[in-house]
Amino acid sequence: MENQTQAWIVKEDEAEKASNAYLMSLIAIIAGLPLPIINLIATLIFYLGNRKGTYFIRWHCLQALLSQLSLLFANSYGFWWTIYIIFGSDHLSSNYFAYIFTLIIFNVVEFIATIYTAIQTRKGKHVRWFLYADICDLLCKK
Amino acid sequence: MKILSQIFLMLVLFFGCIFLLQKVDWMSLLNINQVSKSSEEKLGDTIWEYIKNDGKEIENKGLSEPIDSLIQKICGANDIDANQLKVHLIYNNEVNAFALPNNHLVVYTGLILAAENEGEICGVLGHEIAHIELKHVMKKLVKEMGLSILLSLASGSGNGDKLKEAIKYLSSSAYDRTLEREADLKSVKYMQKAKIDVEQYAAFLYRLGSDEPEAMKYLSWVSTHPDSRERANYILAQRGMGKIKCQAVLGPQSLQQMKDLIEGINN
Repeated sequence: MENQTQAWIVKEDEAEKASNAYLMSLIAIIAGLPLPIINLIATLIFYLGNRKGTYFIRWHCLQALLSQLSLLFANSYGFWWTIYIIFGSDHLSSNYFAYIFTLIIFNVVEFIATIYTAIQTRKGKHVRWFLYADICDLLCKK
Repeated sequence: MKILSQIFLMLVLFFGCIFLLQKVDWMSLLNINQVSKSSEEKLGDTIWEYIKNDGKEIENKGLSEPIDSLIQKICGANDIDANQLKVHLIYNNEVNAFALPNNHLVVYTGLILAAENEGEICGVLGHEIAHIELKHVMKKLVKEMGLSILLSLASGSGNGDKLKEAIKYLSSSAYDRTLEREADLKSVKYMQKAKIDVEQYAAFLYRLGSDEPEAMKYLSWVSTHPDSRERANYILAQRGMGKIKCQAVLGPQSLQQMKDLIEGINN
């Protein structure tokens, strides 16, 4: 993750909306914790609602969306594995715990990064995440 | 190219993390295996002692030996250690058999009386062995009663009502549909490997499923298990079209002798 000084001036409302994209995913994580899809839907709705916004807003909405998307697959797998253990015939194993602890590590890192980015974006700073920033550069047209 | 290498790096990080965490024996570290295994042993023995105290256990070689030989046949063909199973025959007119924790398998005499051939008994025995092998028994008890109550029963501090409740859950109510299906399909595999006619098991379900309502009170195993006809259908579908040359263990005469022995106890 890097803080980059952008060539353009970010207006107050732009910074607020861009920051809200990250806040949206945080609130959705808390609200829909057991269901990994809810935070993705929330950020997707927010992205679609702002797709006609300025480049800064769109770029950050997309970065928030992509960050949710990548963890969705990993979280969904963990979610259904847990359901299968509770209601199906699978049982607890060291492999299951290894997977769940990996998920916890990645989710906590993502959670902290999201809070940090929401704060910095609110100040009008352009925070670029590893991998997602480059994909956003490709997908988001100026 | 840069993005691809970043994705690759991310995947290496994710799976590397899983790989490293897999090196830790979490089951021992979190004390999960030990708790469940010793608790299961104590719980199973406590429940069995409670059932045994009713004084209806039959220790007649003429009945236990044929049942053992059927179990040996199923287990032998499926690499299951038959010695780990603790089979008990109980005098009861209900058509029932059920598994308890710690590999106890209880068979009611009503099942033998209702069976027309050994395949029918084998199907039910295979189904219950499958519940044991697939570790459904503890899962069901934990779900129905909660872990804390089970642990208190296992430690001997639970009350008799809770023990009765556990027996009721295991003997007179079915597992959920998915687990029942899994046990049925596993039973079919066991029977096929042991060269036992699967069709007889399906026919048994059909026959008992369509019995008169008054008779249903004696058919716990069928009435509490979901939709016997549907089960018979998927059992036949699982069996497939291939013909297996079946080998009988008991034969009709031995089965009749068993029934006569039970009737003798009745009189």
